[in-house]
Amino acid sequence: MRRWLLWFLLVPQAFLLEGLWRDTGMPSLDANVLVGLFLALFAERRALPWLLLGAAVGRAMVDEARLPVQILVLGIPVAVLLPLRGLVFGQRWILQAFVAAMLAVAIPKLALLCGRWFDQPSQTAGPDPWSVAAAALLVPPLLFVLRALPPLRGFAEEP
Amino acid sequence: MARQKREVFPAGLYGMLLFALCCLTLPGIAAPIERLLVGTACLVPWALGGFGGEPAAAADAGVAERVAALARQLDERLREHDLGQGPAVLLRDHEPMLCGVVASERRGGGGQPCELRLDRSHAELAGCAEFVTKGDVLLGTLVRQGQGVAAADAATDHARVLLLNHPAARAVAAVAQLPEGGALRMVVRGAAAVDPAPLRVDLWDDPYRAARLDRGGFDVRTLALPPQYGGVPGGLWLGRTLVWGFDGDGIDAPVTIGVFVVPPIEPRALSHVVVWRKRDGVAPPGRRPEPLRRAATVRELPGASAGRWLVAADVAVPDGAAVVLEGFCLGTARGLSFGLGLLTAFPSSRHPWNLLLLPDDPALRPREIVAQVERSDAGAALVRWRGDSLDGESQRLPPGYLFTGSNGPHCPPGLLLGTAVPHRFDRSLLEVTTPSVPGPQAAQVVAAEEER
Repeated sequence: MRRWLLWFLLVPQAFLLEGLWRDTGMPSLDANVLVGLFLALFAERRALPWLLLGAAVGRAMVDEARLPVQILVLGIPVAVLLPLRGLVFGQRWILQAFVAAMLAVAIPKLALLCGRWFDQPSQTAGPDPWSVAAAALLVPPLLFVLRALPPLRGFAEEP
Repeated sequence: MARQKREVFPAGLYGMLLFALCCLTLPGIAAPIERLLVGTACLVPWALGGFGGEPAAAADAGVAERVAALARQLDERLREHDLGQGPAVLLRDHEPMLCGVVASERRGGGGQPCELRLDRSHAELAGCAEFVTKGDVLLGTLVRQGQGVAAADAATDHARVLLLNHPAARAVAAVAQLPEGGALRMVVRGAAAVDPAPLRVDLWDDPYRAARLDRGGFDVRTLALPPQYGGVPGGLWLGRTLVWGFDGDGIDAPVTIGVFVVPPIEPRALSHVVVWRKRDGVAPPGRRPEPLRRAATVRELPGASAGRWLVAADVAVPDGAAVVLEGFCLGTARGLSFGLGLLTAFPSSRHPWNLLLLPDDPALRPREIVAQVERSDAGAALVRWRGDSLDGESQRLPPGYLFTGSNGPHCPPGLLLGTAVPHRFDRSLLEVTTPSVPGPQAAQVVAAEEER
């Protein structure tokens, strides 16, 4: 129960923390990619729907589109990447960086597409090469650290 | 084996995605859950925001007065334009009444909305003529309570207007004067949703001549018919012709496949319409009371992109409620639980807005447009507009003040957004400047009394 409370308390705020971090002028750390990478490669499969809901709530705080759209924007890449789990488990940094880069491209593109299809435009800017590179280089090591801390530690699946 | 199956097919995740799709189809299911979940998550930044200082009250009462004066000017000029040029046959024994549009519903011809809900009830408009106009443009017909699409409506429900592009709207006899001389008579009715314009020409009095039309842009006006054929007043403008087909290439002649009619004001841009009330000695219903404004506090959402604010009010913030500060509309809020709301400022929003432009030049008419922000930087936004071709397809908008149009019951027309100037190179762009909001502020949330 405590791990769920922590997830729903802290993960939505991570989307705001990302903005505060960016405002200090530090290199961008995309919370969408961070959460997406964790859900796709490391999170407990049984808990995935509710973990996804918590992350979507965070996105709904910072983006104009509604919660169901945010579930789709984060959930579709996770569902697509889930079969890769067998390849990436352990510490295969290159594959993790590759998946993070894919997420950095896919999430904004999907946000724009869902906005058009469901008439709920998103404020998400399109992917730019710097943010994709930053996601590929910075997110996997950061996730490695965060996986050892709550709330991610409580949901990390054993290989 | 069972574990392997679960791993290959994560049913819970797919179920959640399916649930999200269902919620998008039936938004009512997810709305309360979303209000609660996002509202709970917003309690943390709201509580932390309390340490950022007390909300400031309006600094200059004169600003609010100047904004109110501009709103009055907009109202006067709308009335002057929309009520001024009515059909003579209606003016004899009817008087015009300006009504606001509360909602546009259902996709009709040209993929545009084809049904309007007005800010007046069926009971208030019971004695009105059937036709709904705007200036000299015929827009559609008023639906009587208990008939057609209003069969289940109560007398206190918002009155409905069936626009001419509605599948159930009546066909209208019309005429187009051709520049080479002569006229083409036709029957105009609602087009299909996939058609390039809201109205299409159904029948011609001279199909051979019509088939030789190789360019559009001719004015189409109604033909006066006797009462037994519908009694549509003559001379009302329906729009301009749009010829659909293949261009000639010098060897082969152009081929006309269909002729459509483009209304001078797009249905989705309509914020006001005119209904015609019989002169019967009874005083017309008074002006509609303004929606209530509730006191609220706005604070910037820390870490969110610029233009995202948290709103807190003593009452539940309705979805789509306008948030007003010193008379300026900051944007619309999404309602959350605990009296909170998430406000997206106009420059940061990406959804289409119904807008009204009040030109600086007092001789020019207000423009009703639909617009979407393309880019923004702090309080400045680049807005792509469409919807008003009353003065021609290639018109540029004049500089002026930008107001909200009809954006739902909680965001009524006439709230000032900022100033607008046309883009130097692209006629379909407007550069809009809105006021900046420093720090937490005491504001107001517009909340209509009830949704009928």
